Amino acid sequence: MNEREKNRSAIMLRTVSVIAGLLVWHLLATVVVKDAGLLISPFAIVSTAYEMLFVTRDLYPHLFASAWIFFYGFALAILIGVPLGFIMALNPAVRDYVNPWVMTLYTTPRIAFAPVLLLWLGVGGGSKVAIVFLGCIFPILINSYYGMRVVNREFVELARSFRLGRWGLFLKILLPASVPFILSGIRLAIGRGLTGVAIAEWFGATEGLGYLIFFAGQTLNIPILFVGVAVFAALGVLGFELVRQIENYATPWRKGLQQG
Amino acid sequence: MAAPVLELRNLHKEILRPQQEPFVIFRDLNLTVREGEFVSIVGPSGCGKTTLLRVINGLVPQTRGEIFIDGRSAREVENELLMGFVFQGASLLPWRTSLKNVLLGLEGHTHNSKDSLELAGKYLELVGLSGFENHYPHELSGGMQQRVNLARALVVNPRILLMDEPFAALDAQTRSFMQLELLRIWAQTKKTVIFVTHMISEAILLSDRVVVFSYRPGTIRSEFNVPLPRPRDMDIKSDPRFVELENVVWKQIEQEVRSTGGFTQI
Repeated sequence: MNEREKNRSAIMLRTVSVIAGLLVWHLLATVVVKDAGLLISPFAIVSTAYEMLFVTRDLYPHLFASAWIFFYGFALAILIGVPLGFIMALNPAVRDYVNPWVMTLYTTPRIAFAPVLLLWLGVGGGSKVAIVFLGCIFPILINSYYGMRVVNREFVELARSFRLGRWGLFLKILLPASVPFILSGIRLAIGRGLTGVAIAEWFGATEGLGYLIFFAGQTLNIPILFVGVAVFAALGVLGFELVRQIENYATPWRKGLQQG
Repeated sequence: MAAPVLELRNLHKEILRPQQEPFVIFRDLNLTVREGEFVSIVGPSGCGKTTLLRVINGLVPQTRGEIFIDGRSAREVENELLMGFVFQGASLLPWRTSLKNVLLGLEGHTHNSKDSLELAGKYLELVGLSGFENHYPHELSGGMQQRVNLARALVVNPRILLMDEPFAALDAQTRSFMQLELLRIWAQTKKTVIFVTHMISEAILLSDRVVVFSYRPGTIRSEFNVPLPRPRDMDIKSDPRFVELENVVWKQIEQEVRSTGGFTQI
Protein backbone atom coordinates (compact mmCIF):
# COMPACT_ATOMS: atom_id res chain seq x y z
CA MET A 1 0.00 0.00 0.00
CA ASN A 2 1.32 3.44 -0.79
CA GLU A 3 0.97 6.49 1.43
CA ARG A 4 -2.21 7.77 -0.17
CA GLU A 5 -3.94 4.39 -0.04
CA LYS A 6 -2.98 4.03 3.61
CA ASN A 7 -4.46 7.46 4.37
CA ARG A 8 -7.63 6.65 2.50
CA SER A 9 -8.13 3.38 4.33
CA ALA A 10 -7.50 5.09 7.69
CA ILE A 11 -10.14 7.72 6.91
CA MET A 12 -12.58 4.99 5.84
CA LEU A 13 -12.09 3.01 9.03
CA ARG A 14 -12.63 6.11 11.14
CA THR A 15 -15.81 7.03 9.28
CA VAL A 16 -17.17 3.50 9.64
CA SER A 17 -16.33 3.53 13.34
CA VAL A 18 -18.13 6.83 13.94
CA ILE A 19 -21.24 5.84 11.99
CA ALA A 20 -21.44 2.40 13.60
CA GLY A 21 -20.99 3.90 17.06
CA LEU A 22 -23.75 6.42 16.52
CA LEU A 23 -26.09 3.72 15.19
CA VAL A 24 -25.46 1.46 18.19
CA TRP A 25 -26.07 4.43 20.46
CA HIS A 26 -29.30 5.27 18.58
CA LEU A 27 -30.56 1.70 18.89
CA LEU A 28 -29.57 1.55 22.55
CA ALA A 29 -31.61 4.69 23.25
CA THR A 30 -34.68 3.91 21.14
CA VAL A 31 -34.93 0.12 21.42
CA VAL A 32 -33.19 -0.97 24.63
CA VAL A 33 -33.41 1.87 27.17
CA LYS A 34 -36.50 3.58 25.79
CA ASP A 35 -36.40 6.22 28.54
CA ALA A 36 -35.75 9.77 27.36
CA GLY A 37 -35.05 10.68 30.97
CA LEU A 38 -31.88 8.53 30.94
CA LEU A 39 -30.53 8.34 27.42
CA ILE A 40 -31.52 9.97 24.15
CA SER A 41 -30.54 9.22 20.59
CA PRO A 42 -27.59 11.11 19.12
CA PHE A 43 -29.93 12.39 16.42
CA ALA A 44 -32.14 13.97 19.08
CA ILE A 45 -29.02 15.69 20.42
CA VAL A 46 -28.17 17.01 16.96
CA SER A 47 -31.69 18.39 16.54
CA THR A 48 -31.57 20.06 19.95
CA ALA A 49 -28.13 21.48 19.14
CA TYR A 50 -29.47 22.80 15.82
CA GLU A 51 -32.29 24.52 17.61
CA MET A 52 -30.00 26.10 20.18
CA LEU A 53 -27.59 27.26 17.49
CA PHE A 54 -29.92 28.54 14.80
CA VAL A 55 -33.44 28.91 16.19
CA THR A 56 -33.38 30.05 19.80
CA ARG A 57 -29.67 30.90 19.61
CA ASP A 58 -29.42 30.10 23.36
CA LEU A 59 -26.07 28.40 23.05
CA TYR A 60 -23.96 31.40 22.06
CA PRO A 61 -23.70 33.24 25.38
CA HIS A 62 -22.57 30.01 27.02
CA LEU A 63 -20.17 29.22 24.21
CA PHE A 64 -18.58 32.67 24.30
CA ALA A 65 -18.37 32.78 28.08
CA SER A 66 -16.52 29.45 28.07
CA ALA A 67 -14.36 30.41 25.09
CA TRP A 68 -13.02 33.51 26.82
CA ILE A 69 -12.18 31.64 30.00
CA PHE A 70 -10.48 28.95 27.99
CA PHE A 71 -8.58 31.43 25.84
CA TYR A 72 -7.20 33.45 28.75
CA GLY A 73 -6.21 30.41 30.81
CA PHE A 74 -4.68 28.65 27.82
CA ALA A 75 -2.76 31.70 26.54
CA LEU A 76 -1.46 32.49 30.01
CA ALA A 77 -0.30 28.87 30.38
CA ILE A 78 1.67 29.10 27.14
CA LEU A 79 3.14 32.51 28.01
CA ILE A 80 4.33 31.31 31.41
CA GLY A 81 4.80 27.57 30.84
CA VAL A 82 7.14 27.70 27.85
CA PRO A 83 9.68 30.20 29.26
CA LEU A 84 9.55 28.62 32.71
CA GLY A 85 10.18 25.18 31.21
CA PHE A 86 13.14 26.60 29.30
CA ILE A 87 14.61 28.29 32.35
CA MET A 88 14.23 25.07 34.36
CA ALA A 89 16.00 23.13 31.62
CA LEU A 90 18.86 25.59 31.33
CA ASN A 91 19.38 26.30 35.01
CA PRO A 92 19.52 23.32 37.39
CA ALA A 93 19.19 25.56 40.46
CA VAL A 94 15.90 27.01 39.22
CA ARG A 95 14.73 23.50 38.37
CA ASP A 96 15.45 22.28 41.88
CA TYR A 97 13.63 25.22 43.43
CA VAL A 98 10.58 24.94 41.23
CA ASN A 99 10.31 21.17 40.86
CA PRO A 100 8.67 20.24 44.19
CA TRP A 101 5.94 22.82 43.59
CA VAL A 102 5.38 21.73 40.03
CA MET A 103 5.09 18.10 41.07
CA THR A 104 2.72 18.89 43.92
CA LEU A 105 0.47 21.16 41.90
CA TYR A 106 0.55 18.78 38.94
CA THR A 107 -0.56 15.74 40.92
CA THR A 108 -3.20 17.47 43.08
CA PRO A 109 -6.66 17.08 41.52
CA ARG A 110 -7.63 20.45 40.15
CA ILE A 111 -11.18 20.10 41.39
CA ALA A 112 -9.75 20.32 44.89
CA PHE A 113 -8.38 23.77 44.09
CA ALA A 114 -11.61 25.12 42.79
CA PRO A 115 -13.17 26.12 46.12
CA VAL A 116 -9.91 27.67 47.31
CA LEU A 117 -9.49 29.67 44.14
CA LEU A 118 -13.09 30.83 44.37
CA LEU A 119 -12.41 31.97 47.90
CA TRP A 120 -9.33 33.90 46.84
CA LEU A 121 -10.32 35.27 43.47
CA GLY A 122 -14.10 35.49 43.85
CA VAL A 123 -16.76 34.07 41.58
CA GLY A 124 -15.74 36.30 38.63
CA GLY A 125 -13.58 35.38 35.70
CA GLY A 126 -10.33 35.32 37.65
CA SER A 127 -10.91 32.08 39.51
CA LYS A 128 -12.19 30.34 36.38
CA VAL A 129 -9.21 31.43 34.31
CA ALA A 130 -6.95 30.25 37.13
CA ILE A 131 -8.49 26.76 37.07
CA VAL A 132 -8.06 26.51 33.30
CA PHE A 133 -4.53 27.85 33.63
CA LEU A 134 -3.66 25.21 36.23
CA GLY A 135 -4.92 22.55 33.87
CA CYS A 136 -3.01 23.78 30.84
CA ILE A 137 0.32 24.83 32.24
CA PHE A 138 1.77 21.48 33.31
CA PRO A 139 1.86 19.59 30.02
CA ILE A 140 3.22 22.74 28.37
CA LEU A 141 5.83 23.37 31.05
CA ILE A 142 6.94 19.77 31.34
CA ASN A 143 7.18 19.29 27.57
CA SER A 144 9.10 22.54 27.11
CA TYR A 145 11.47 21.41 29.84
CA TYR A 146 12.04 17.98 28.32
CA GLY A 147 12.23 19.31 24.79
CA MET A 148 15.21 21.38 25.77
CA ARG A 149 16.77 18.69 27.97
CA VAL A 150 16.82 15.92 25.40
CA VAL A 151 18.43 17.92 22.59
CA ASN A 152 21.04 15.75 20.90
CA ARG A 153 24.45 16.41 22.46
CA GLU A 154 26.00 16.39 19.01
CA PHE A 155 23.95 19.45 18.11
CA VAL A 156 25.17 21.27 21.19
CA GLU A 157 28.77 20.48 20.20
CA LEU A 158 27.99 21.63 16.70
CA ALA A 159 27.04 25.04 18.05
CA ARG A 160 30.28 25.21 20.00
CA SER A 161 32.31 24.03 17.02
CA PHE A 162 30.84 26.77 14.85
CA ARG A 163 31.33 29.31 17.64
CA LEU A 164 27.69 30.30 17.66
CA GLY A 165 27.84 31.60 21.23
CA ARG A 166 25.22 31.19 23.96
CA TRP A 167 22.45 32.98 22.09
CA GLY A 168 23.23 31.15 18.89
CA LEU A 169 23.05 27.86 20.75
CA PHE A 170 19.67 28.81 22.17
CA LEU A 171 18.12 30.33 19.06
CA LYS A 172 19.51 28.03 16.40
CA ILE A 173 19.72 24.69 18.20
CA LEU A 174 17.80 24.41 21.47
CA LEU A 175 14.72 26.40 20.52
CA PRO A 176 13.97 24.77 17.15
CA ALA A 177 14.74 21.33 18.59
CA SER A 178 12.12 21.97 21.32
CA VAL A 179 9.32 23.12 19.04
CA PRO A 180 7.79 19.66 18.42
CA PHE A 181 7.77 18.96 22.16
CA ILE A 182 6.16 22.30 22.95
CA LEU A 183 3.46 21.74 20.35
CA SER A 184 2.66 18.27 21.75
CA GLY A 185 2.44 19.85 25.18
CA ILE A 186 0.02 22.44 23.84
CA ARG A 187 -2.03 19.74 22.19
CA LEU A 188 -2.32 17.83 25.47
CA ALA A 189 -3.18 21.06 27.26
CA ILE A 190 -6.34 21.54 25.17
CA GLY A 191 -8.14 18.58 26.74
CA ARG A 192 -7.03 19.53 30.23
CA GLY A 193 -8.06 23.14 29.63
CA LEU A 194 -11.55 22.13 28.58
CA THR A 195 -11.86 19.98 31.70
CA GLY A 196 -10.82 23.09 33.59
CA VAL A 197 -13.61 25.10 31.96
CA ALA A 198 -16.18 22.48 32.98
CA ILE A 199 -14.93 22.37 36.56
CA ALA A 200 -14.69 26.15 36.83
CA GLU A 201 -18.25 26.70 35.67
CA TRP A 202 -19.75 24.20 38.05
CA PHE A 203 -18.99 26.50 40.93
CA GLY A 204 -20.95 29.69 41.16
CA ALA A 205 -21.17 30.46 37.45
CA THR A 206 -24.20 31.98 35.74
CA GLU A 207 -23.24 31.13 32.19
CA GLY A 208 -20.92 28.93 30.22
CA LEU A 209 -21.00 25.39 28.90
CA GLY A 210 -20.08 23.93 32.27
CA TYR A 211 -22.91 25.88 33.86
CA LEU A 212 -25.26 24.68 31.11
CA ILE A 213 -24.44 21.05 31.85
CA PHE A 214 -24.69 21.57 35.59
CA PHE A 215 -28.02 23.37 35.28
CA ALA A 216 -29.46 20.83 32.83
CA GLY A 217 -28.39 18.03 35.15
CA GLN A 218 -30.10 19.66 38.12
CA THR A 219 -33.31 20.20 36.17
CA LEU A 220 -33.12 16.82 34.40
CA ASN A 221 -33.13 18.44 30.99
CA ILE A 222 -31.45 15.52 29.23
CA PRO A 223 -31.27 16.96 25.67
CA ILE A 224 -29.52 20.15 26.81
CA LEU A 225 -27.25 18.16 29.12
CA PHE A 226 -26.09 16.06 26.17
CA VAL A 227 -25.71 19.08 23.91
CA GLY A 228 -23.36 20.59 26.48
CA VAL A 229 -21.30 17.41 26.61
CA ALA A 230 -21.28 17.11 22.82
CA VAL A 231 -20.09 20.70 22.38
CA PHE A 232 -17.21 20.05 24.78
CA ALA A 233 -16.29 16.93 22.86
CA ALA A 234 -16.46 18.74 19.53
CA LEU A 235 -14.31 21.61 20.82
CA GLY A 236 -11.75 19.15 22.14
CA VAL A 237 -11.50 17.28 18.84
CA LEU A 238 -11.37 20.54 16.86
CA GLY A 239 -8.66 22.05 19.04
CA PHE A 240 -6.61 18.87 18.95
CA GLU A 241 -6.83 18.71 15.15
CA LEU A 242 -6.03 22.40 14.81
CA VAL A 243 -2.80 22.04 16.79
CA ARG A 244 -1.92 18.96 14.80
CA GLN A 245 -2.27 20.94 11.59
CA ILE A 246 -0.05 23.64 13.10
CA GLU A 247 2.49 20.93 13.98
CA ASN A 248 2.50 19.62 10.42
CA TYR A 249 2.92 23.11 9.08
CA ALA A 250 5.55 24.31 11.53
CA THR A 251 7.64 21.13 11.60
CA PRO A 252 7.41 19.56 8.15
CA TRP A 253 10.68 17.72 8.79
CA ARG A 254 9.13 15.58 11.54
CA LYS A 255 6.90 13.61 9.19
CA GLY A 256 9.89 12.12 7.44
CA LEU A 257 11.60 11.34 10.71
CA GLN A 258 8.63 9.36 11.97
CA GLN A 259 8.40 7.33 8.78
CA GLY A 260 12.13 6.85 8.39
CA MET B 1 58.30 25.19 3.05
CA ALA B 2 54.89 26.55 3.85
CA ALA B 3 54.23 28.12 7.23
CA PRO B 4 52.85 25.99 10.06
CA VAL B 5 49.11 26.42 10.49
CA LEU B 6 48.73 24.13 13.46
CA GLU B 7 51.25 23.24 16.11
CA LEU B 8 50.70 20.89 19.02
CA ARG B 9 53.29 21.08 21.80
CA ASN B 10 53.42 18.39 24.49
CA LEU B 11 49.68 18.05 24.31
CA HIS B 12 48.33 15.86 27.06
CA LYS B 13 44.81 14.80 27.91
CA GLU B 14 43.65 12.77 30.87
CA ILE B 15 40.38 12.14 32.61
CA LEU B 16 40.20 12.18 36.40
CA ARG B 17 38.71 9.10 38.00
CA PRO B 18 37.64 8.82 41.61
CA GLN B 19 39.97 6.66 43.78
CA GLN B 20 42.16 5.80 40.80
CA GLU B 21 45.01 7.09 38.72
CA PRO B 22 43.81 9.53 36.05
CA PHE B 23 43.02 7.84 32.76
CA VAL B 24 45.49 9.09 30.14
CA ILE B 25 43.87 9.41 26.73
CA PHE B 26 46.91 10.80 24.91
CA ARG B 27 50.24 12.22 25.98
CA ASP B 28 53.34 14.03 24.70
CA LEU B 29 51.81 14.96 21.40
CA ASN B 30 53.98 17.11 19.18
CA LEU B 31 52.77 17.76 15.68
CA THR B 32 53.20 20.49 13.12
CA VAL B 33 50.83 20.78 10.21
CA ARG B 34 51.71 23.14 7.38
CA GLU B 35 49.58 25.27 5.13
CA GLY B 36 47.69 23.20 2.58
CA GLU B 37 48.86 19.90 4.01
CA PHE B 38 46.55 16.89 4.24
CA VAL B 39 47.49 14.89 7.34
CA SER B 40 45.76 11.68 8.39
CA ILE B 41 45.85 10.21 11.86
CA VAL B 42 45.41 6.45 11.96
CA GLY B 43 45.39 4.11 14.92
CA PRO B 44 43.36 1.39 16.58
CA SER B 45 39.91 2.16 17.93
CA GLY B 46 40.05 3.84 21.30
CA CYS B 47 43.50 5.38 20.87
CA GLY B 48 42.30 8.94 21.38
CA LYS B 49 42.19 10.15 17.77
CA THR B 50 38.72 11.60 18.03
CA THR B 51 39.45 13.18 21.39
CA LEU B 52 42.49 14.85 19.85
CA LEU B 53 40.33 16.48 17.17
CA ARG B 54 37.87 17.63 19.82
CA VAL B 55 40.68 19.15 21.87
CA ILE B 56 42.09 20.92 18.81
CA ASN B 57 38.63 22.29 18.05
CA GLY B 58 38.19 23.53 21.62
CA LEU B 59 35.23 21.27 22.36
CA VAL B 60 37.06 19.78 25.35
CA PRO B 61 40.06 21.27 27.16
CA GLN B 62 43.48 19.66 27.20
CA THR B 63 45.07 18.77 30.53
CA ARG B 64 48.50 20.13 29.62
CA GLY B 65 50.36 21.41 26.61
CA GLU B 66 49.77 24.09 24.04
CA ILE B 67 47.98 24.44 20.74
CA PHE B 68 49.00 27.15 18.29
CA ILE B 69 47.01 28.19 15.28
CA ASP B 70 48.92 30.39 12.85
CA GLY B 71 51.37 30.99 15.65
CA ARG B 72 48.72 32.26 18.07
CA SER B 73 47.77 30.37 21.21
CA ALA B 74 44.45 28.55 20.81
CA ARG B 75 43.31 30.10 24.07
CA GLU B 76 43.62 33.57 22.55
CA VAL B 77 41.55 32.69 19.53
CA GLU B 78 39.07 30.33 21.14
CA ASN B 79 36.09 32.42 20.11
CA GLU B 80 37.16 32.83 16.52
CA LEU B 81 35.84 30.51 13.89
CA LEU B 82 39.09 29.16 12.46
CA MET B 83 38.22 25.51 12.08
CA GLY B 84 35.58 23.57 10.24
CA PHE B 85 34.59 20.28 11.86
CA VAL B 86 33.19 17.42 9.82
CA PHE B 87 31.54 15.14 12.35
CA GLN B 88 31.42 11.38 12.12
CA GLY B 89 27.64 11.34 12.13
CA ALA B 90 26.31 13.88 9.68
CA SER B 91 24.83 15.80 12.65
CA LEU B 92 22.71 17.82 10.27
CA LEU B 93 19.91 19.75 11.91
CA PRO B 94 16.75 17.88 10.89
CA TRP B 95 14.66 21.05 10.84
CA ARG B 96 16.90 22.75 8.29
CA THR B 97 17.17 22.10 4.57
CA SER B 98 20.58 21.36 3.03
CA LEU B 99 21.11 25.00 2.19
CA LYS B 100 20.09 26.19 5.66
CA ASN B 101 22.33 23.58 7.24
CA VAL B 102 25.28 24.89 5.25
CA LEU B 103 24.32 28.43 6.26
CA LEU B 104 24.55 27.59 9.97
CA GLY B 105 28.25 28.31 10.26
CA LEU B 106 27.90 31.67 8.52
CA GLU B 107 24.95 32.92 10.53
CA GLY B 108 26.86 33.81 13.66
CA HIS B 109 29.66 35.56 11.82
CA THR B 110 28.46 37.45 8.80
CA HIS B 111 25.67 39.95 8.46
CA ASN B 112 24.96 39.97 4.78
CA SER B 113 22.47 37.17 4.32
CA LYS B 114 22.34 37.51 0.54
CA ASP B 115 26.05 36.92 0.15
CA SER B 116 25.81 34.06 2.66
CA LEU B 117 23.08 32.36 0.66
CA GLU B 118 25.10 32.68 -2.50
CA LEU B 119 28.18 31.27 -0.81
CA ALA B 120 26.25 28.37 0.73
CA GLY B 121 24.82 27.55 -2.69
CA LYS B 122 28.29 27.65 -4.18
CA TYR B 123 29.63 25.16 -1.64
CA LEU B 124 26.66 22.83 -2.10
CA GLU B 125 27.56 22.89 -5.77
CA LEU B 126 31.20 22.14 -4.94
CA VAL B 127 30.21 19.00 -3.05
CA GLY B 128 27.95 17.96 -5.91
CA LEU B 129 24.55 18.72 -4.39
CA SER B 130 23.14 21.35 -6.76
CA GLY B 131 19.41 20.82 -6.95
CA PHE B 132 19.17 19.48 -3.39
CA GLU B 133 19.19 22.89 -1.67
CA ASN B 134 15.67 22.52 -0.32
CA HIS B 135 15.83 18.88 0.73
CA TYR B 136 15.66 18.01 4.40
CA PRO B 137 18.35 15.69 5.79
CA HIS B 138 15.97 12.73 6.04
CA GLU B 139 15.39 13.01 2.31
CA LEU B 140 19.11 12.53 1.58
CA SER B 141 21.21 9.35 1.51
CA GLY B 142 24.08 8.86 3.97
CA GLY B 143 26.65 9.91 1.40
CA MET B 144 24.70 13.03 0.50
CA GLN B 145 24.34 13.93 4.16
CA GLN B 146 28.11 13.76 4.55
CA ARG B 147 28.48 16.01 1.51
CA VAL B 148 26.30 18.60 3.24
CA ASN B 149 28.37 18.09 6.39
CA LEU B 150 31.52 18.82 4.39
CA ALA B 151 30.01 21.87 2.69
CA ARG B 152 28.94 23.21 6.08
CA ALA B 153 32.51 22.95 7.36
CA LEU B 154 34.05 24.45 4.21
CA VAL B 155 31.71 27.39 3.77
CA VAL B 156 33.19 29.28 6.71
CA ASN B 157 36.54 29.26 4.89
CA PRO B 158 38.34 27.64 7.82
CA ARG B 159 42.11 27.74 8.34
CA ILE B 160 41.96 24.07 9.29
CA LEU B 161 39.46 21.42 8.31
CA LEU B 162 39.04 18.73 10.97
CA MET B 163 37.46 15.49 9.77
CA ASP B 164 36.49 12.82 12.26
CA GLU B 165 36.00 9.48 10.45
CA PRO B 166 33.55 11.19 8.12
CA PHE B 167 32.97 8.12 5.96
CA ALA B 168 32.88 5.47 8.69
CA ALA B 169 29.11 5.06 8.56
CA LEU B 170 28.92 4.67 4.78
CA ASP B 171 28.83 1.43 2.83
CA ALA B 172 32.09 0.40 1.12
CA GLN B 173 31.10 1.58 -2.34
CA THR B 174 29.80 4.96 -1.26
CA ARG B 175 32.88 5.31 0.87
CA SER B 176 35.18 4.87 -2.13
CA PHE B 177 33.20 7.45 -4.11
CA MET B 178 33.36 9.90 -1.25
CA GLN B 179 37.13 9.44 -0.98
CA LEU B 180 37.50 10.38 -4.63
CA GLU B 181 35.15 13.31 -4.12
CA LEU B 182 37.22 14.49 -1.19
CA LEU B 183 40.38 14.30 -3.32
CA ARG B 184 38.69 16.47 -5.93
CA ILE B 185 37.29 18.98 -3.42
CA TRP B 186 40.59 19.22 -1.57
CA ALA B 187 42.41 19.88 -4.84
CA GLN B 188 40.00 22.77 -5.47
CA THR B 189 40.03 24.32 -2.01
CA LYS B 190 43.63 23.63 -0.93
CA LYS B 191 42.61 23.45 2.70
CA THR B 192 44.82 22.32 5.54
CA VAL B 193 43.17 19.07 6.65
CA ILE B 194 43.49 16.80 9.63
CA PHE B 195 41.69 13.58 8.86
CA VAL B 196 41.08 10.91 11.47
CA THR B 197 40.39 7.37 10.31
CA HIS B 198 41.06 3.78 11.28
CA MET B 199 41.22 2.75 7.62
CA ILE B 200 44.86 2.72 6.53
CA SER B 201 44.21 2.66 2.77
CA GLU B 202 41.89 5.66 3.11
CA ALA B 203 44.58 7.57 4.98
CA ILE B 204 47.26 6.82 2.36
CA LEU B 205 45.00 7.52 -0.60
CA LEU B 206 44.04 10.97 0.69
CA SER B 207 47.07 12.25 2.58
CA ASP B 208 50.40 13.93 2.18
CA ARG B 209 51.42 12.55 5.55
CA VAL B 210 50.14 9.68 7.69
CA VAL B 211 50.55 9.84 11.46
CA VAL B 212 50.30 6.52 13.30
CA PHE B 213 48.96 6.60 16.84
CA SER B 214 49.97 4.16 19.55
CA TYR B 215 47.33 2.47 21.63
CA ARG B 216 46.40 3.60 25.14
CA PRO B 217 47.65 6.06 25.97
CA GLY B 218 47.71 7.49 22.48
CA THR B 219 50.80 9.18 21.27
CA ILE B 220 52.51 9.55 17.93
CA ARG B 221 54.34 6.35 17.15
CA SER B 222 55.57 7.23 13.70
CA GLU B 223 54.96 9.48 10.73
CA PHE B 224 55.18 8.68 7.02
CA ASN B 225 55.25 10.99 4.05
CA VAL B 226 53.15 9.55 1.28
CA PRO B 227 55.42 9.40 -1.76
CA LEU B 228 52.62 9.30 -4.30
CA PRO B 229 51.95 11.95 -6.94
CA ARG B 230 48.70 13.86 -7.25
CA PRO B 231 46.12 13.88 -8.69
CA ARG B 232 45.34 10.39 -7.43
CA ASP B 233 42.62 7.92 -8.24
CA MET B 234 41.73 4.40 -7.13
CA ASP B 235 44.38 2.86 -9.42
CA ILE B 236 47.04 4.20 -7.12
CA LYS B 237 46.07 1.56 -4.58
CA SER B 238 47.90 -1.01 -6.68
CA ASP B 239 51.07 1.10 -6.88
CA PRO B 240 53.89 -0.84 -5.11
CA ARG B 241 54.69 2.18 -2.93
CA PHE B 242 51.08 2.31 -1.78
CA VAL B 243 50.99 -1.38 -0.98
CA GLU B 244 54.31 -1.24 0.87
CA LEU B 245 53.27 1.74 2.99
CA GLU B 246 49.97 0.09 3.79
CA ASN B 247 51.82 -3.00 5.01
CA VAL B 248 54.28 -1.05 7.14
CA VAL B 249 51.52 0.95 8.81
CA TRP B 250 49.39 -2.14 9.35
CA LYS B 251 52.30 -3.98 11.03
CA GLN B 252 52.79 -1.09 13.42
CA ILE B 253 49.15 -0.93 14.38
CA GLU B 254 49.04 -4.69 14.82
CA GLN B 255 52.06 -4.51 17.13
CA GLU B 256 50.43 -1.73 19.10
CA VAL B 257 47.31 -3.71 19.70
CA ARG B 258 49.14 -6.95 20.55
CA SER B 259 51.57 -5.32 22.95
CA THR B 260 48.72 -3.83 24.97
CA GLY B 261 46.57 -6.86 25.56
CA GLY B 262 45.72 -8.18 22.14
CA PHE B 263 42.74 -7.91 19.87
CA THR B 264 40.30 -9.01 22.50
CA GLN B 265 40.33 -5.53 24.00
CA ILE B 266 39.25 -3.75 20.87
